[in-house]
Order: sequence, then C-alpha cells, then structure tokens
Amino acid sequence: MGTNQKPTLTWASAAKIAWRELQASRAKFLFVILSVAIGVAALTGVRGFSDSFQKTLLGEARTIMAADLSARMFRQPTQQEEQQLNVLASHGIQRTEVSDTVSMVSSPGDPVPLLVSLKAVDPRQYPFYGTVVLEPAGDLRQVLTDATVVVAEDLLIRLHTQVGASLKIGDSTFRIAAVLVREPDRMSSGMGLGPRVMMTQSALEKSGLLQQGSRSGERFLFKLSSNSGNIATVRARLEQVLPDAQVTDFRESNPALTDGLKRSTGLLSLICLVAMVLGAIGVAMAMRAHLQQRVEVLAIMKSIGARSSDILRIYLFQTVLLGLVGGLIGASLGLGVEWIFPSLLGRFLPIHLDLQFPWHSALAGLGTGILTTVLFCLPPLLQIRSVRPNLVLRRMVEEPSAQRSLWTRLRQSKAQWIIATVILLGLGAIAAALSDSVVVGRWFAGALCALLLVILGVSALTLRVLRAFLSRTRMHLQSAVRHGLANLYRPGNQSAAVLAALGVGVMLILTVFLMQHGVIGEMKLTSGPNLPNIFLVDISSKELDGVKHLLAQQPAVRGDVETLPSVAGRIISVDGTAAEGLKLKNYPQRLLQTVSLTWSRELPEGSTMAQGTWWDKDDGQSLVVTEHIAQRLQLHLGSRIVFTSNGRTMQTNVVAIIRHNGQHVYSRSEFILTPRALAGLPVVWYGAAHVDPSQVGAVQRALFNAYPTVTVINIADVIETIQGVVQQITIVVRFLAAFSILAGAVILASSIASTQFRRVREVVVLKTLGAKRNHIAAVFSVEFIVLGLLAGLVGVIFANLLSRVLLHRLDVAFHVEWLATALALVGTAVLATVTGWAASFRMLGQKPLQVLREE
Amino acid sequence: MIEVRGLKKSIRNGSRTIEILKHIDLLVPSGQFVAIMGASGSGKSTLLGLLAGLDSPTAGEVLIDGTEISRLPEDKLAEVRGRKLGFVFQSFQLIPTLTALENVLLPHELNGSGNGRVAAEDLLRSVGLGDRMHHYPIQLSGGEQQRVALARAFVLQPPIIFADEPTGNLDSENGAHVLDLLLKRNRTSGATLVLVTHDAQVSSHADRRIVLRDGSIVEDTMQRPA
Repeated sequence: MGTNQKPTLTWASAAKIAWRELQASRAKFLFVILSVAIGVAALTGVRGFSDSFQKTLLGEARTIMAADLSARMFRQPTQQEEQQLNVLASHGIQRTEVSDTVSMVSSPGDPVPLLVSLKAVDPRQYPFYGTVVLEPAGDLRQVLTDATVVVAEDLLIRLHTQVGASLKIGDSTFRIAAVLVREPDRMSSGMGLGPRVMMTQSALEKSGLLQQGSRSGERFLFKLSSNSGNIATVRARLEQVLPDAQVTDFRESNPALTDGLKRSTGLLSLICLVAMVLGAIGVAMAMRAHLQQRVEVLAIMKSIGARSSDILRIYLFQTVLLGLVGGLIGASLGLGVEWIFPSLLGRFLPIHLDLQFPWHSALAGLGTGILTTVLFCLPPLLQIRSVRPNLVLRRMVEEPSAQRSLWTRLRQSKAQWIIATVILLGLGAIAAALSDSVVVGRWFAGALCALLLVILGVSALTLRVLRAFLSRTRMHLQSAVRHGLANLYRPGNQSAAVLAALGVGVMLILTVFLMQHGVIGEMKLTSGPNLPNIFLVDISSKELDGVKHLLAQQPAVRGDVETLPSVAGRIISVDGTAAEGLKLKNYPQRLLQTVSLTWSRELPEGSTMAQGTWWDKDDGQSLVVTEHIAQRLQLHLGSRIVFTSNGRTMQTNVVAIIRHNGQHVYSRSEFILTPRALAGLPVVWYGAAHVDPSQVGAVQRALFNAYPTVTVINIADVIETIQGVVQQITIVVRFLAAFSILAGAVILASSIASTQFRRVREVVVLKTLGAKRNHIAAVFSVEFIVLGLLAGLVGVIFANLLSRVLLHRLDVAFHVEWLATALALVGTAVLATVTGWAASFRMLGQKPLQVLREE
Repeated sequence: MIEVRGLKKSIRNGSRTIEILKHIDLLVPSGQFVAIMGASGSGKSTLLGLLAGLDSPTAGEVLIDGTEISRLPEDKLAEVRGRKLGFVFQSFQLIPTLTALENVLLPHELNGSGNGRVAAEDLLRSVGLGDRMHHYPIQLSGGEQQRVALARAFVLQPPIIFADEPTGNLDSENGAHVLDLLLKRNRTSGATLVLVTHDAQVSSHADRRIVLRDGSIVEDTMQRPA
C-alpha cells in the first residue's frame, strides 16, 4: 500500500469547486455577503463618522482653552526650564504666554480708580484656537498694540467712558481700542476680580506693574503640531519640565464637553463592536446552514478520497471570498453612509463637521469583515472533519454529534476548545483594536464570553428539561405543541446555535439601546436648558439678598440664582506636614497661601460623590474636597488639613471626595467645610444664574446700576456652544444606535431564516401524511416562540448586567428600563416566530414530490 | 485482496443497542466478483461501508492488500480510498455543481498526479457520454448519471470497486448497460468487484454470492471459479 506523501487538492481546483458552489446557491450566499456587508457598513460608517465627529468635538474643547495644553504658574521659568521648553519648541510645539493680574485703573476725567482683572497676551499668537470677538469688529493682531487695550463693556459703564478714550493703568496711559465681547478661554483663566482689561505682554512689561509684586499668574499656552507626539506624552513631559506648574490639557477644559466626549466615544465603540459581532453571527449562521446542506456532497468527496483538509480548503476559500466581497460592499456602503450623515443631520448640526476620507476606517472595516467572517465560520468549517463518508450509503441512523448537547461536544473535543479560544482571542483583539474605549472593549469581550457559556448551559438544561417534560406529558399535549417542542431537540437541530445567535444578538441590541438611553439622559442633565450662563463675582454679605431679589425680578432670568460663599484661607499643614514641605503634584506652592473655603449643608448641585459619604452632623471638622485637588495635594479619605483664616485655625478631616460637572457655581469650590467651621468669618459671595442669552446685556446693566462693585462674567456664548455640541452628540448617538439596532434586527431575522432548510424534509413528510399548512405553521411557531423567549430572557438579563457595568464605568447612573426590557423579551419571541414562519412559508407551498425526488 | 476477521457493528439508538453485523469472517481474492444479497435491513450496505473504510467497525478488522484499514486515521483512510477503491452508489452521488467531466476528474485532482483529463474524456466516451461531458448532473438522465459515476470510479484504475445497488434506480435497459460496464471492468482489468444487490438477475453474473440475514452470512456460494 502506498504510503508516500499524497498530493493535496490544489488551490486552483479548490477555487473552481468553491466558485461553482457559490454560483449554484447565489441567493443563499447573497445573504452571507449582505450580513458581512451590513456589519462592515455599520462599522465603517459609524467608526469613520465618529472619528470625524470626535475631531470636531475635540476642536471645540480646544477653543475653550484656546490651546492644547496650559501650564499655570506664579513665576517666570528659570533659565534651565526655558532651555527645556525650547527643546519642546524644536518638536513643533508652539508656546505663548498669558499673564493674569489685578490692577487699579482710572479714567483721566474720573478720579475714582477701579480694580480690574488684567490679562496680557501676545496677539501675534494668542489665541491658538477660537477667536477673540471685538466690538467694533476687528482682528486682535491689528487692534491690540503696545499703546492700546481692549476692555469689557462693564468697565466702560463703571468708568463712564467709551471706546477711543484713554485709560490709565499704573503709570502708563492706553487708548481703549475696542470692547472685548468674547475671549475663548474666559472659563479657563479663572474669575479675576473686576472687569476685564486685555493688553499686550510687552505693554505689561513696560508698565512696570509686575515689579510691584502684584498677584500675577502666568499661563503658558501650548499648541501641538502633527509631529510633536500625542497630548498625553507632551503633557507628561511638560509636567516634568515645570514641576510646580498646574498643567491641564484641553480634555479637562469643560467637564460637560469632555464627559460627553468620553461617553459618546464609549457608546460609539460599543456600537462598532455590536455591528461587527452581529454581522459575524449572520455569517456564521448562514455558513453553518450551508455546510449542513452540503453534508452529502462532503461525504461523496470523502468517499472518493478527499481528505478533510482538501474539503476545508474549498470552504475556506469560499469563506474568505465571501468575507472579501461582503467587506468591499460594506466598506463602500459605510463610506456612503458617512458622507450622507452630514447632509442627513445637517439641519440638526450646529457645528460644521470636518470630514476626511476615512481610509483608515475603510481598511479597518474590510479587514475586520474578513477576519470575523473566517473566525466565526471556523466552528462550522471544522465540523467538516466529523462528516462520515458512509452517509453516501444511507442517512445515518445514529447521529452521535447531533444527539449530544453542544456543551458535551465542547467538553469532549479539544479542537472545539481550541477554536473557541481562538475565536475569543481574535474577538478580543478586534475589540481592542476597534474600541477607542478600553473599558468598553474589555467588558464587551468579557460579557460575550460569559454569555456564550451561560447560553451553552441554558440550552443543555432546557433541552434536558424539555425532554423530561415531554416524556411525562407527551400524549396530553396538543399535537402541534408536542411536535414543536420535540423539534427543539431532534437530531441535527439548530436550537443551540439559534439560541446563541439570538441571545447574543438581543444582548447587543438591548445594550446599545440601554446605553444610549442612559448616556443621553445624563447629557440632558449636564446640558439642561437652565444652566447658569452668567457668573457674579464679589458680592458682599450685605448685598447678597438684594442681588438675589433684583435677579428674581428680571423676566430674562430663569430658575433660581445659585450662590457660593467664599472665605479666603490658607493651608497650614496636610497630615502633619507643614505647607512649605508638602510634595505637590503639579500644583504651585503659592496657591496654598490663598485658598477659597466654602460651606454647604448638602452635596451641591452638579456634583457627584466619588469617594466617602457626605457628613450628617455639623461637627465643624468634616471636609469635602474635589477629586482634582485631592490628586494635586495627594489627599485621601481621612487626610487631616489645618486651615487658617482671619486668625482662626480650623482642624479638618477629609470625609468625602467629589467631582463637579463644571456647570454650576459650586464647580468653583475645592474645599467645602461645614457651616460651623466658617461661621462668623468674612465672606464674599459668588452667584450664578441663567439669563436669556439675548438679554444678558440688559441684566448686566441693571445689576451694575444697583450694585456697581459686583462683576458680571457673561459666558452665555460658551454655554451655548457647549449645549450645541452636547445636543449634537445626542443626535448622532441616537441616529447611530438606531441604525445599528435596525441592522442587527435584520441580520438576526435572516439568521433564523437561514436555519429553515432543515425543515423542508419535515414539511414534506408532514404534508404527505396529510398535515395542513396551519398545523405545520403551528408546529414551527411553538418551536420558535420557545426559542425566542429563552434567547430573549438570557439576552435581556445580560444586556442589563453589561449596561450597568458600562454605564457605571462612564459615570452614568443605571436604572432598570422595565418597558424596554419587556419589549425586547417579547420582541425576540415575535421576531423569531415571524421570521421563522415567513421563511417556512415558501416551503409550505412546495410540492412534496419535488423534495422526495431529490432524496 | 480483502480480508475480514470477526467484524461486528452495532449502533446505539437511545437506550438500545442494535447489532447490525454479528461476527463476519470473509476473504475476497483479487479479481473476484462478489455479489452481496439480503433483505432490507440485513446489513448489506453496512458491510459494504466497512469493507470500503467508509465507517469503522465496533469490533474486528478489515484488511485491504494486507493493511488493516478499520483503525487508520481519517486522512490515511482517505488516501486508501482514493488510490485503491472505486465506488458506485445507487443514487449516483455526483457533485451537482460540477460537470460530468469535472466529476470524473475530481479523484484525479484529489489523488492523482499529472493531467487526468485525457483519461477522463476517454472513459466518458467509453461509457457512451462523449457528447455529454460538459453537462451538469441535473441535465443528465439517471442512466447517464450512473455512467458518469462509473467513469469516476474507474478513472484512477483502482484494484477494488464497490457498488451499492448500482442498478437499483435505473430502468432495465440502463441497468443492463451499467452492469455490463462493471463486468467489463472486472474481466478486462482484473479489478475486484464487490456489489450489493437485491436483484437475482444481477447476482447471477457474479463469481460468488453471499447472502446476509440479520447481520450474519447465511449463504456463501461460488457460482463460477474466480
């Protein structure tokens, strides 16, 4: 007997056979191609669009800081630091300096001086992002010279002066060149005292104001270029170079915006992954059905000497080809969708999208399409090995692999485990590569594994219970019910596969829905219509009630006026270490000398608890700090801080760490004590209110007339921008979620339909025996309702668990959505039944002889 | 030569074990034409499947030219099937997506080396299908399909040919034609022919007649010297 190396089927022959089969069952393969195409289209479209979308949003976030990075400090850099900053500049990182200080100014004709918050910039570079809006309109570079200043409108009101007039600052006199309507980084530069005056850096140096030891803060703004490395690396480098500077990047510029971004990134990543897995499920189900139909051909080939590897080669070729074609169609569709999005959403989108041709996402989509197709087709492909050639002689009496549960087969087969591991690893790798959100990628892969294990268990258990149930009740049940239930565990059934596909599908679709629901709910909270858009600075305790009363009477003011008491204090020690000896993480030592202390009886609006609990007894010692300050001062629950203010020493313990959303007046606070601790100390109040944006000027004038020393900071335009962006996120997220849910439902429905070929024989036999259509339809309905309910149950449970974890990770509250959950459960059963029934409908009309002849 | 020792086959059906073949011993010398007969369910097709290595026995062994095949790994077995054995089935078992010529060429592509096209075309002509080579199975009559199956079984000139009711699905004229081709193969090239049939007329052409009942050989008659 010849034992020499046997030649294998050439790729050319395998390709020929594969191609012939493709041609012979065009309709069926069209479905496979469509599944891949829908998955890849969703992936490419969503990913590409979300890339462009995020770039646009990040651009908005940058304008709020006017830069990519900012370093705040209270001194000029040393020579050594300057050298290192120059090294950064050689990597394409631009730098400009902004000085914030306070000074007295006066109008030549008005002897009463006014305290102003002075900002000095280099107009050739400032701002890196966004624009400075002046009235009359002009370019800051031309308007702001060493001889001119631009000022806030309230300065003109208070000094009874106008544009074109002179303003005396220190010993120098400047001409007021324009009214400063908007500076992009108004929120980032802190709330100085008094109205804003902006001048050039060189004018500030010449004015001699800095030598007087006034409260000057330096902010260095940085702009990255394409070759300067990513923001995190540059930031880390900057923190090294300037160890006592407070370094922030644009991602922190506005919590509402960056949280929205983080959440939408998480959600969009999830949608991408869901699209991918749903497409893959469709493909796997179709290939499984296809190979089961080809079992006899496989047996013939084996009987004439084909090895499993030869046959595998044919079907692997087919799979890759299908993946490639589907991937190409999908990528094209996805690109189309991406280009259509802006015109579809155009009228909703207040911000122009910076769309670029997404080669990256198109290639990623195509690659993912082929990879997931092959990965998910591995189990059905490897079943080729178990096809017995003696099928050519007779249909098997004994079908061992079909009678054993999927779980038993898994337990007994090393190969199945290896495949399962390969698929999960592959899926994990794809998830990691696709997901911009590590959290989502990791939890998604984990939940998918857990769900598959549970589904295996549930399907094994259900089939066992059903069998026991039927053996007891058999003859008492109605014939159609009995038959339908028995179908679930007949040899060669697809119950486990349908359960897995449906269960995973339902989990994914419902998770997307729950996530978008939660995220959008949270976004509405953080960008609600009545968020404060003017801030009031320097209200004395005597003026407080009057200011509140005045604002309450203004029709343009909506909602309550928020107030924040502020007591100036100083940090003496932290955990026994004196302030001078503290190790600070990018926090200027000097800031310890002037901290703002406040009190509150409860968790302030717009804040969430990160660690610990709010105090319940006013013991005068409890202290709540923000997460931000806790990181900089290295504080933890139980940390002891000693403050002093106006001769009073306060011993405090950190009982809670909170996080502000940046939208309310308390977002300005970092140390919240109990009322008792600060009782009797001199207080300055800050206020915040929402004013109809078009009426801000009128309210400002009314306030100034009654309370000339109260400064109003108008951030209505900034708030409007943020709200616009958040609304935009909401629309896009809703749209994309709906798109992926719809695509998922189509793929799932088709997957169920693809299992129908098995029923042809059964339908024929039943018809030959005299069964009517209704009876046959009832049999199938029972089978599919049970399958749908089971898969739905497992799916909705896992969807709720996964959403809970993911939402928690994205700092969004989770509530069980009973209605959505119930709808998903019932919907799955309906979907399974309707599609199952619809797919069988054609069979019901088939003439028995047609099928019997093919036997 | 085919040698069978103590061959048993049983299957489990639910909680029951059904014995399909009970201890079969058999020796088929090279070039012999053996007809296996028996009623439906007597175990004929199972025996054929085991002889051809299409299935594995519960006990016992099958030797083809001295090599025990029933415990061979799947790929080795595929190799044996490809090189040593040819098959003809009652329901033809052609690959529906390949033409007649491609079906006949397939064993070559799977096993043979070199170009088998000439041999395949010659074979198809010899079975009277010279003008139907590029037709798909569905375009051929039952008799024509079976003749394609014969050509496919002969193309690698295997020393042993197994046929399972090769005339069962054919009318008498086509049946006679197919039987004639099989006999010619057996006589002219000396191939061993093991044929399962219900038809006494068909079995009358065999050198030896084996009758099975309930999984055992109940009759083994030499009808003419091998």
